[in-house]
Amino acid sequence: MNRWIIALFCFCLCCTSCVKDDYVYQVNNEVITPPNAVKTKLKTNEQYIAILYTNLFQKPMSVNNLIAASNVIQSIGDKEFAHDQIVGNFMNSPEVLLPSDEEMREDLVGFIELCYNRFYTRHPSALEMQHFLDYIEGNADVTPEMVYYSFATSDEYLYY
Amino acid sequence: MKRRKFIKKAGIAVAGTSAFPYILPSGLLSAKTTAGYAEHVVFVLFAGGVRHQESVGKRYLADSQNAFAEDDLDVEGNIMYNMLDGEAPDRKIAYGTTIDGQTEGGQPIPRILGQTLQQQGTLFQEARSSTTSHFAGASALLSGNYQITQGLRDRPFNPTIFEYLRRHMGLAATDTWFIGNTIGSSVDLLNYSANTDYGWEYGANFLAPNTTFGESGEQFLAYAKDYHPDERSAIVEMRDFLNKSFITSGNPIPGIKNTEEERQDLKDFIDDIFARKNGQGAPLRMPPQSDIPDARTIGYACEVLQWFKPKFLSVNMSNVDACHGSFTNYIKALHRADHAIGHLWNVIQSTPGMADNTIMIVAPEHGRNLEPNILQDLNDWYAYDHSDENAQRSWCLMVGPEIEAGRVIGQEGNPIGNTAQCVLSIAEAFGIKQDVQGAGLLFSNQSLFDLM
Repeated sequence: MNRWIIALFCFCLCCTSCVKDDYVYQVNNEVITPPNAVKTKLKTNEQYIAILYTNLFQKPMSVNNLIAASNVIQSIGDKEFAHDQIVGNFMNSPEVLLPSDEEMREDLVGFIELCYNRFYTRHPSALEMQHFLDYIEGNADVTPEMVYYSFATSDEYLYY
Repeated sequence: MKRRKFIKKAGIAVAGTSAFPYILPSGLLSAKTTAGYAEHVVFVLFAGGVRHQESVGKRYLADSQNAFAEDDLDVEGNIMYNMLDGEAPDRKIAYGTTIDGQTEGGQPIPRILGQTLQQQGTLFQEARSSTTSHFAGASALLSGNYQITQGLRDRPFNPTIFEYLRRHMGLAATDTWFIGNTIGSSVDLLNYSANTDYGWEYGANFLAPNTTFGESGEQFLAYAKDYHPDERSAIVEMRDFLNKSFITSGNPIPGIKNTEEERQDLKDFIDDIFARKNGQGAPLRMPPQSDIPDARTIGYACEVLQWFKPKFLSVNMSNVDACHGSFTNYIKALHRADHAIGHLWNVIQSTPGMADNTIMIVAPEHGRNLEPNILQDLNDWYAYDHSDENAQRSWCLMVGPEIEAGRVIGQEGNPIGNTAQCVLSIAEAFGIKQDVQGAGLLFSNQSLFDLM
């Protein structure tokens, strides 16, 4: 009988014990992405083309075209050259979705963020942001297409 | 006293050179020490499995079909009359082109060389290949070694001739080319090896032109945008910044790399080919009869030769492998490959800088079986695979400067030369034989020149 009383007493203690409040730090919630590229796996030809096409056209590539394009990459020894040619080919298409020059220069920070997010799936570091701000502001002839082109043919874009 | 001083100084000089070898701007440890025989070498991998009997044996149907046929098929003759001496068969001709209303394949392709390559060069008519597998054979032709444990989807374990040449001669990427007949069968893995002392830094430019310039290439390569040089330079500048940022956490991208200038040259070349393919400018230099992919591959190889004038180019063929299922298609492919090689030699001899200054080597990767399989084609002729001792019978033809004309080496029962020795022969032709021997990764330390 005593055991039951002690058990009931303990249960009541648990129910009425104090509960620690959640701390509220009063900062905004943030989606955390790596500050720098931690990418070690090289994309296959198919992965590269599929991602590139989606990044530039904002829609998936057909399977037949995907195979044809990856065959073309395979048929050329210098893969970086092959990528260059294919990006150059895509840039000739009127269907590539590019912001206008005005849109880019109106919100340069947003544009640079967009490029790093879209092509590298990460945020730019402060150094990277500043470099591109200075570069684009200092070169009136730089277009969004040229920036996209440089991202799409860069080394980091070949990795995931 | 003076003598002592001299010996001391000489000793210091020798020790210094050994400890700190002179590093050339190209990254070489030393310059080549011997003179070569030619400025250019073209190496044709007559691959796909070429049966000795129908090629240098000139036995046509006599040793392949006669024993199994009700008709008299004891027909001998040479169906490779641009390369080899000997009269063509006088009947049962099925390897040529077809004229409407006449026998299928009954019209032989006209000879295109005034003098056969055999008359102009040296033929190892009874050589050996130590493998009967396509990839191992092609890999041995290019690396000079048989890698028995070589996986089919892996790059060669030992350095290829491209890497030897680029590393020991300091050649640029566009100085060495491998023109593949396909992107299948791991052919695209043959332009450099997995060897860590050589590898992709010394690899050759590769093209599989039937794909690069085919329908897919037309769709994805032909219309690459041309940027103004200022725009191009801004793109390169931004990309360089991105790449430098990545170096801190990324890995080097493996693969053959051309310089910016070489890439521009490559782009101009590709644009030129597409333009001419679409009727703008001079027609492409295809062999007169180019109705099989191998012939077109040779035609594109001719274009690469004319544009880049590389020090070394190797081109691969494989259509003779139709012999697994159709003997008729096999002899057709053999006949056309001979025609295409004759055309290639003509192009070399009409290219300024390469004429009279180029050695050409032609060798199959292996042969085919003595006995047929069970498959018969439309002519009721039996097909042949490649797995027995007869499939190790091979040959090699060399032509060009410093190669004796009209010489034939070896005979049945007395084989001389192994096709894997082509690598050291090419190295010798360029004057880097000792460097390649020094790497110690060859099947044999003798070149074919040593056997002449």
